[in-house]
Amino acid sequence: MVNRFGADRFGGWLRRQFRVIGAIARKDLLIFLRYPANALMSVVEPIMWLAPAYFMGQGFSVDGRAIGFEGFAGTSDYFSFVMIGMFMSSYISTAFWGTGFSVQEDMTLGVLEPNWVTPASRVSLVIGRSVIMFLLTTLNSIGVLVVGAALFHVNLTGNVLAAVITMLPMLIALTGLGLGIAGMVLSVRRAGTAIDISNWVVTQLSGTTFPVSVLPRPLLAVALALPTTYGFDAVRSILLGTKTMLPVKVEIGIMLASTVGMCAAGYAVFKVFERRCRRQGLLGTH
Amino acid sequence: MSVANAIEVEDLRRTFTRRAPNTLTRMFSRQRPKGGSNAKEAGCGDSGKRPAALVAVDGITFDIRVGEIFGLLGPNGAGKTTTIKMLCTLLEPTLGTARVAGFDIVREPARVRASLGTVLSGERSLYWKLTGRENLEYFAALYDVEPSTARERIRELLDRFELADKANELVERYSTGMRQRLSIARALLANPPVLLLDEPTAGLDPQSARNLREVVRELKGEGHTILLTTHYMAEADELSDRIAIIDHGKVIALDTPAVLKHHIQQMHSVEVETDRAPNGILDELRSLPLVRGVECVQSGNGYETWTIRVLTENSRQTLDALLDLLRAGGERVLNLRVAEPTLEDVFIALTGKSLRY
Repeated sequence: MVNRFGADRFGGWLRRQFRVIGAIARKDLLIFLRYPANALMSVVEPIMWLAPAYFMGQGFSVDGRAIGFEGFAGTSDYFSFVMIGMFMSSYISTAFWGTGFSVQEDMTLGVLEPNWVTPASRVSLVIGRSVIMFLLTTLNSIGVLVVGAALFHVNLTGNVLAAVITMLPMLIALTGLGLGIAGMVLSVRRAGTAIDISNWVVTQLSGTTFPVSVLPRPLLAVALALPTTYGFDAVRSILLGTKTMLPVKVEIGIMLASTVGMCAAGYAVFKVFERRCRRQGLLGTH
Repeated sequence: MSVANAIEVEDLRRTFTRRAPNTLTRMFSRQRPKGGSNAKEAGCGDSGKRPAALVAVDGITFDIRVGEIFGLLGPNGAGKTTTIKMLCTLLEPTLGTARVAGFDIVREPARVRASLGTVLSGERSLYWKLTGRENLEYFAALYDVEPSTARERIRELLDRFELADKANELVERYSTGMRQRLSIARALLANPPVLLLDEPTAGLDPQSARNLREVVRELKGEGHTILLTTHYMAEADELSDRIAIIDHGKVIALDTPAVLKHHIQQMHSVEVETDRAPNGILDELRSLPLVRGVECVQSGNGYETWTIRVLTENSRQTLDALLDLLRAGGERVLNLRVAEPTLEDVFIALTGKSLRY
């Protein structure tokens, strides 16, 4: 046998996982680049969604300042607020659609089983799908920010590096969320509508386009239960100087704790559903 | 596990639970529940309603020796693919155990997969938007083939399967035969001791199928143990050292092709070609004395003719009655031949029906 399965030390195991994840990322990037029109549209589409927010913000502004909005958010720059919200919510969508939905895509293409009969860890096979998705989302979002800054006068005054570091735990937590969703998709299969609704609820209640303080109490309770809400709040505070619900350090602490929780929960959910699929024979069906 | 056995299967059983269709499905479905499924059905609830469970594999037991080509032969829905899916850990057995290269399929799935090269049926099992080489590079990482070894191994496999010229073309431009060869090349990336080939020649033209059978023989020569599923009698006969005939999820015969045929060597196979479907007389043919099995298939010769195959213990005594029945039914006999029994006849003798339905 040419493969070295069984030479089991943690270092070797970890190296194998990184190699698998790297191979998946390369494969997904190659496939992405073979649909150039799709790649181009992924940059155009967010700008298309952002434009109405810009013009709506302008319509409600007095001398370029959204006065009423400032009372809730601590900034009068409504469009920059929305732009950052869109930037961050694109990662949530990636977790839902890119990672979670990837197994359904593989099922439909007929490549799930050939991947799953290899000795590679099935968790790594799913996580691998999220790496290139997050990378492409980042490149895409940076492009949108640059275009947005040029077209719509986005004004970020804070420490970008600090904001990026603050976001990292959220990305890891979202990978855990994506893993759990992937497990559920394995079992539910035609999960497009459920993913669409869940994605919309999480992105909106995290405060993509408005400060969550405007929400009625029941919805506010849901928003405060989402770790992403604190991520949005902290990053906006760093970049725009907005008011935060809790001290930024506390919000970062909540995100760090939720990272561990969401990764553990995502792993557990995935394993439960993966086993269920093997027991019920659902892998080859879609 | 015995050192001499690459695969050991003991009392393996797989049952699928059927979900009752919901109200909306029932309202909009025009289909009536059909009988005659090839898989065995169990756990009937209310009489007249759909069974609660489908027994796809029903307590099969067999061993495959190291270096052997073992054919799993049966009609569609007999349980062949379900068995393969259990062995490659895509599916858990409901009951029973199996070991591949000494590893238990439930307790040590990763080690089982590391010992296996699996080719599942269906040509969409490759990434069509990647080239042949890129597909192999990707799967080499998943099979944990060392990068320094992988490049050389991929080159060898592309050469061996005559894909080197097309290695940098997208798989979407490959023919079905090329895709199947690439799938086998993928299964061989890690040079595993055991290969599972699920219907490897299905959908291939005769020349490609012949070439692929040659490859399978070469792989055996290199020491691989091969479990091959097929519903082509000739293929199983030509390739397999031993054959398990599977029907309704059960192994109904297991031996070498020669021994299986020897069991019915005292019989004759009478083939009659007629100009129309012999509706209504097949049951009468089956009830003739000495007749052990009857099948009828539309001839694949481009003409609207039908071939009735009658397995009998004595063709001389059966022929007259057979021809009388055909004439009485208004059939015109175009051709008649008495032949030695084949594996197809073995299947008919064992099950009373043809493989090709």
